[in-house]
Amino acid sequence: MEITLTHYLLLAAAIFVTGMVGFIVRRNAIVMLMCVELMLSSVNIVFAAFSRFHLDGGGHVFVLMNFAVAAAEAAIGLAILVEIFRRRRTVNVDDLKTLME
Amino acid sequence: MFEQFIPVLLVLLVAAAFAGLFLGLSSWLGPSRPSALKNSIYECGVPARGSTQIRFFVRFFLVALFFLLFDLEAVFLYPWVILYKGMLAAGHGMFALGEMGAFVAVLLVGFIYIWKKGGLEWQ
Amino acid sequence: MELNLNIPSWSDLRFWLPEAILCITFLVALLGDLVVRGRRTWVPFAVSVAGLITAGAYAVAAMNHGLDAGQFQGHTIMGSLMIVDGMAGFFRLLFIFASLVTVLFAWTSEEIMGKRRENKGEFYALTVLLTAAMMVMAEARDLLMLFLSMEAVGLISYVMAGYMRTSLRSSEASLKYVLFGAVSSAIMLYGMSLLYGMTGAMEFDGIRNALISGTVDPFALLVVVVLILAGMSYKIAAVPFHYWCPDVYEGAPTPVSAIFSVGPKAAGFALMIRFFYTTFAAGTDAGTQLVQDINWPLLVAVMSVATMTYGNLVALRQTNVKRMLAYSSIAHVGYLLMGFVLLSSAGLASILFYLLVYTLMNLGAFFYVVAINNHLKSEELSDYVGIGFRAPWAGAMMVIFLASLTGVPPFAGFVGKFYLFTAVLDKQWFWLAIVAALNSVVSLYYYFKVVRAMFLSTPAEGTDMSPLKLHWLQYVVLAMLAIPTLALGLFFEEFKGLADMAIGMMGG
Repeated sequence: MEITLTHYLLLAAAIFVTGMVGFIVRRNAIVMLMCVELMLSSVNIVFAAFSRFHLDGGGHVFVLMNFAVAAAEAAIGLAILVEIFRRRRTVNVDDLKTLME
Repeated sequence: MFEQFIPVLLVLLVAAAFAGLFLGLSSWLGPSRPSALKNSIYECGVPARGSTQIRFFVRFFLVALFFLLFDLEAVFLYPWVILYKGMLAAGHGMFALGEMGAFVAVLLVGFIYIWKKGGLEWQ
Repeated sequence: MELNLNIPSWSDLRFWLPEAILCITFLVALLGDLVVRGRRTWVPFAVSVAGLITAGAYAVAAMNHGLDAGQFQGHTIMGSLMIVDGMAGFFRLLFIFASLVTVLFAWTSEEIMGKRRENKGEFYALTVLLTAAMMVMAEARDLLMLFLSMEAVGLISYVMAGYMRTSLRSSEASLKYVLFGAVSSAIMLYGMSLLYGMTGAMEFDGIRNALISGTVDPFALLVVVVLILAGMSYKIAAVPFHYWCPDVYEGAPTPVSAIFSVGPKAAGFALMIRFFYTTFAAGTDAGTQLVQDINWPLLVAVMSVATMTYGNLVALRQTNVKRMLAYSSIAHVGYLLMGFVLLSSAGLASILFYLLVYTLMNLGAFFYVVAINNHLKSEELSDYVGIGFRAPWAGAMMVIFLASLTGVPPFAGFVGKFYLFTAVLDKQWFWLAIVAALNSVVSLYYYFKVVRAMFLSTPAEGTDMSPLKLHWLQYVVLAMLAIPTLALGLFFEEFKGLADMAIGMMGG
């Protein structure tokens, strides 16, 4: 069986949907952040696959940038989580209701 | 169809055979005199006490975050290194060096800021 | 595999001076914060004000030079990742102005400068960097730069929203912002990756050429457009991606909410205009045809109506002024989207003009809340009773801002809405205009509620009615916003002309 572009796209779509469902279903903020990272990784797969398909380096550049941005996002998210955990002893988003109407 | 995966399969087979061979050899050749002490769980140092679900000191976390951020910047050094030779040949050497200098300088400012604000102190 | 190396050079910096100055200002302000210890951290403040003014001067000079030479169709810079054209020039000035007044006002804000706050310098440094990032958003002409600039604005915003680390509200707002921001940018990114796959191009004009050549499946394009639109409507807080907005605005320090309600939103619109206009619409029939294929007008019109109606209806039952202003800002995004329905240059120009007006009046309203919060430590409407008489001048200016937000003549908000309505009516979208007009009437009610509390309600017995002493800088900044809000209502043609020109001079 030859691995074609379609396979990569299907894999990426599956990972993306997994991340999306995880983000919606789970209530632990750390898990939610991890799900977002999963979604970003699936995007990386798509970019890398299309980069190869079009024989164009642009997609690879995008993947590199995406790594750095995802790391920065995770770092900021985790830093905020630590701050909240110190105060509230929970990272469950359902418990954070100070701002509800 | 699956021909292209035959090398992978071969590697797996060789690895399994190798591991199996040495495990088998040691159990066949080695003496076996079990005792209560020997059958206890291997522990390096003192026996484990208390719960394993302790809270980590938040400093660990902070250092891990800084490591994550600064480590990832190395990703951008890699393509630069690859391209540098070509740019040097094309007469853009100073430009490439200057760009990387600016990049590192920004990182340096961030590092100094963390340092001065006490982010790296272990207190 | 070939890497198309379009090697930039330092001479590009000529066109990028304002942004470069702001980046350096950020670094200097950050280091300056370390050098000077003390209760009043004036160094970052002074550095950022100086940097913003210098950058503004250069931006004005660049705009004038471009207009004189009649060549503001744009210089592509940084290896064609960005373009500096008339539209970028317009937004540069808008962002620098908004940041400058925010920085000035924040100096007097207890929430930013209060005794117990740590890291006061960071606010100023981050605002400067946010300005630079927003300017790049208005200049991006490549998917990569679009993504990076949006993420830069996002990451800075997350930190700024959590500025009051000791306040749980602030941290919580920040967490919500990060979670929803991250997921929406991932969704947008997925759309972008598929678009790259379909067209094989990262640059907007390359995407456009590929789309026109007609090899793209309309259904696939619709999916991509919806995914990308989702990420962008998160940035501008349009329904159904608005849920973060009220929480973040309420939880963040008020000066930060003020800049959030204006800056990133305007930058989001700049990005949307450049991306969708240059890829789908710009002039030629083939492009416009693409828009018709996916029924773009209906998509945006529905979003626009949903956004303005939701914002206005929920704003009606708010008792917290800050939260009410957050919902009102959602409603205004709905009005702004009206100009986006037809992707016509008239509609886009009216968006630009309305953004200018909106910046003035919305910043003004938020700043008034800051000034009052310094004294009352509250944003509840019930605490605003009689506050108008305790600081009459500021109160009068707040009335101007609220009237303008409602869209009552002769204030600037009316002119802005007028242009938006005309753009829609020109193309016979009557129902959209009618819904928007009804919405404006609804909004009158809740804006008036604030005015009533401030001036007309009788305070309860024993309420403190002593005059409030506002910082002189607060009067200066409020006047800087109130006077243009009045003036733009009467002498608007000059600035409308500027907005028209900015759209006309948008390079591909």
